[in-house]
Amino acid sequence: MVRAALSSRRIGQGPIPGATWIPAASVVAASLLAALPIVSHSGWYPDFGYLALIGWRLLRSDPWPAWWAAPLGLINDLFTGYPIGFSVALWSATMLALDLVDRRTMWRDYWIEWVLAAVFLFIHQWLGWRVARAAGVDLPFVSLLPPLVISVFVFPAAAWIVSRIDRWRLGR
Amino acid sequence: MATARPGWSRRAQYGLFFSFIAVIGGIVVGVILLGVSVVAPRTFAGIRGAALDITGPITTGLSEVTATAGGLVSGAGDYWNAAHQNAELKRQNKAMLQRMVEAKAIIQENRQLKATLQLRERTERTVAVGRIVGSSFNSPRRFAILAAGTRDGVRVGMPVRSAEGMVGRIVDAGVLASRVLLVSDRSSIVPSRLLRGGIPVISQGRGDGTVDVRPLEVGRNPFKRGDIIITSGTGGLYPPLVPIARVVKLDDDGAVAIPLADPANTSFAIVEPAYEPAAIAAEAEANGEGP
Repeated sequence: MVRAALSSRRIGQGPIPGATWIPAASVVAASLLAALPIVSHSGWYPDFGYLALIGWRLLRSDPWPAWWAAPLGLINDLFTGYPIGFSVALWSATMLALDLVDRRTMWRDYWIEWVLAAVFLFIHQWLGWRVARAAGVDLPFVSLLPPLVISVFVFPAAAWIVSRIDRWRLGR
Repeated sequence: MATARPGWSRRAQYGLFFSFIAVIGGIVVGVILLGVSVVAPRTFAGIRGAALDITGPITTGLSEVTATAGGLVSGAGDYWNAAHQNAELKRQNKAMLQRMVEAKAIIQENRQLKATLQLRERTERTVAVGRIVGSSFNSPRRFAILAAGTRDGVRVGMPVRSAEGMVGRIVDAGVLASRVLLVSDRSSIVPSRLLRGGIPVISQGRGDGTVDVRPLEVGRNPFKRGDIIITSGTGGLYPPLVPIARVVKLDDDGAVAIPLADPANTSFAIVEPAYEPAAIAAEAEANGEGP
C-alpha cells in the first residue's frame, strides 16, 4: 500500500523564492497598467492598483507590513497621474480601516468581501471627486457613478487573479 | 496586525503597536502631500516628470504595437471590402473640410488685420511633434500622454494641436514624455469664438470628451448645430484661429460641442511655442492649472 502523502505530487513544493515580496510587486504591476496605450474620453477604467491592494488585503491580513501601503500609494500616484499624496493617504487609511473591520466582523464570506470592496471603491471615487473639486475641477456627482459601477464589477476578477497569484507564490 | 493581541510576546505586541503608528504616519504624510499638491501643483513637477519618463517609453512602445496591429487589421479589412477607394475619398473629404475652415479663418483674420492695422509678425514654428500614446483612463481628469519631452524642447504651458484642431496644453514635462491637459478636461477653459460671425465664446471641458460652449454676452443663444468653434488667442495661452470643436447639441444658454481633434485618433500632435510667453509666466506664478 502506498502511503497517501507519497502518492501526491506535492512533495517538495513550498513557497517560491521571494514569496514575501510578490504581493507588493503585483500591486506595483497593477499600478503600471496605467501605462497601457489606452486613450479614453471618459476615464471610466478602474484604478487597477487600488483593486489589487484591497484584493490582497481582503484575502490575507498580512500580505505586506501595513506601512508599505504608503510607498505603494506613492508609486500609484506617480504612474497614474493622480495628485501626489492621494493614494498615499487613501491606501494607508484602507489598511487601517480593514484592520478594524477584521476585528468587528463575525464571519466572512464572498458577499461580505464584495460589499466591503464596493464601500471602499465608493470612498475612493468620492475622495477623488472631492480632491478634483478642491483643485478647481467642478465635476457633477453623477459623473463618478459609471466608473464606480465598473470597478465594483471588475473587483471579483481582480480578487480571482490575486488568489491565483497567492496560490502560485505559496506553491499550492 | 489582524488580531487585537498577538499573544504574550512583548516583542510582538510592540511590533503591532509600532506598525499601527507607522500606518497613521503614512496617512498623515499622505494628507500633507495631497494638501501641497492641491494648493501648489508645481511642487512635485520634477518627480512627476521622472515618473513620466519611466512609463512614457513603455506606453510609446505598446502604442506602436497596437497601431501596427490595428493598421494591419483595418488595412486587410479595406482590401477585403475593396473599400480602399472609399477610405481615400473620406480622407480627401476630411482634408477639404479642414481646408475650408482654415480658409474661412484666414479671411476673418485678414479682415481683422486690415481693420486694426497692427501687423505684428508672429513666427509660427513647431517645437516638437509627437504621438499621443496614452491617457489618464482611470481618473475623472482628462490628461493625455505625449511621446515628446524636454529633450525635444517641450516646456510646461505650451499649446498642443494636431492637424485637425486644438488638443490641449502641456502640464507636466519629463525628459522623454509629457502630460497634456486636454481641452475636454473640466479645468480647461479656452477663450474662443464662433467661426460664423466671430461672436466671442468660452469653451470649457465637460470631462467626458465633450466641451461646453457659452457666449460671453448674455442673450440670444448664438449657436447652431454644426457650428465650428475656433480659438481667439485672448489671454495669450493658446494661439488664435485654431479650430477647437463642432457644436452637436444646443442647451438653454449655450451648446455642447465635440472637439475636432480626437486624441484617440490623432496620429501626430504638434507642440507649438507659447503664444504669449509672458501670459504663461504670469499664470505659472499665480499657480493656475495643475494635475
